[in-house]
Amino acid sequence: MSVTVRIPQPLRRFTENRDVIELSAGTVGEALEQLERQYPGITERLRESDGQLRRFVNIYVDGEDIRFLNGLATELRDGMEVSIIPAIAGGSAL
Amino acid sequence: MNREKYSRQLLFREIGEAGQERLRQSRVLVIGCGALGAAQVEMLARAGVGFLRLVDRDFVEESNLQRQIMFEERDALERLPKAIACARRVARINSDVRAEAVVADVNEKNIERLIADVDLVLDGTDNFETRYLINDACVKHEKPWIYGAAVGAYGLTMTIRPGITPCLRCVFEKIPPPGSSPTCDTAGIILPIVLFIASIQVTEAIKLLIGRTEKLHSGLIQVDAWEMSVHRVSLQQVRERADCPACHHRRFEFLEVGRRQSALTLCGRNAVHISSAGDVSLDLREIAERLKPLGEVTLKEFLLVFRVNGYELNLFPDGHCIIKGTEDMTLARSLYARYIGM
Repeated sequence: MSVTVRIPQPLRRFTENRDVIELSAGTVGEALEQLERQYPGITERLRESDGQLRRFVNIYVDGEDIRFLNGLATELRDGMEVSIIPAIAGGSAL
Repeated sequence: MNREKYSRQLLFREIGEAGQERLRQSRVLVIGCGALGAAQVEMLARAGVGFLRLVDRDFVEESNLQRQIMFEERDALERLPKAIACARRVARINSDVRAEAVVADVNEKNIERLIADVDLVLDGTDNFETRYLINDACVKHEKPWIYGAAVGAYGLTMTIRPGITPCLRCVFEKIPPPGSSPTCDTAGIILPIVLFIASIQVTEAIKLLIGRTEKLHSGLIQVDAWEMSVHRVSLQQVRERADCPACHHRRFEFLEVGRRQSALTLCGRNAVHISSAGDVSLDLREIAERLKPLGEVTLKEFLLVFRVNGYELNLFPDGHCIIKGTEDMTLARSLYARYIGM
């Protein structure tokens, strides 16, 4: 399935500054694996060592939080948009 | 009411005279007077919000001036506590507004008292520990609060109305452990994104204060000022579906005494923050005399600066201290114990 993944600015140093990545994946988990293949290191910021999504990082598929869908197994269809939103602390990080 | 002062705001029909009067009667708590907080305070003061309580534990430094719009070079030279500097500037901007400065670390012991008599809490903090504390206190006491954060040219904001919208823990279940947040690094920040996020927060604040809650954006707003994109994630049904400890189980673990670490590394600053041990009021003059033979002591209006062996201890009257020159919490604690006393 061809989907677009929106990369938030704090993670764009992994993606050569690209904010939208087009890729082909059947589930959110597969999309993350694709992403990792293209941009090594990025999913380390998103997943725990056991592969689970970190609980301060949210992923939305067409605006729906995957926690309330099927988690990383949430299925993707053609044209869907996957959006990654990590909680951010802010300001003092110089 | 001074009609001339607020004439342009009165002409804006969504506010009008009735709205202006409600703003005058409103009480707002701003927690953290750094980049976001200072911008919020400036806008709230000009809008004529009657009472502002400004809380911050830090002092003004030169590196703040690029993005913290309430401060000037002399504030940095004086190492003025940010809460004091903000309150003084509010007095110069709008004498209708009463600003109360609180130079203190917000913690589980004082948060409930700080929010008790205000209508709304605005987030100007830079860390999650304090935000989850605000969230627990506000959910417990059913006070609205507005989350905001900015880094680089990117920011997030969300308006929380306990019992009605999801809270911060419904949306982000867990606090990012120190150092693991994707943003806790050398990302830097530019002022425009600060003003962007603060503007959304203050617009929401005004709507809330004048009772126009139907106009709130009710989502999680993500702004990228560099790509000039604004995305809104709808949070519909998140509150119902999230099994939130605060909203659903009324478990407020961040309010539990002793949960917080007494020492905290300040991300990216080569500094450690040591919390106050309790309700104390230190005589900085006396401590200055005692420390003089041991190192370089400078007594400022609201804090004491003590330099020794390459470290710099900035001690406030309530006992909290910012130790520069290290990120090692154990070392910082021992410096505090040695020179100030636990």
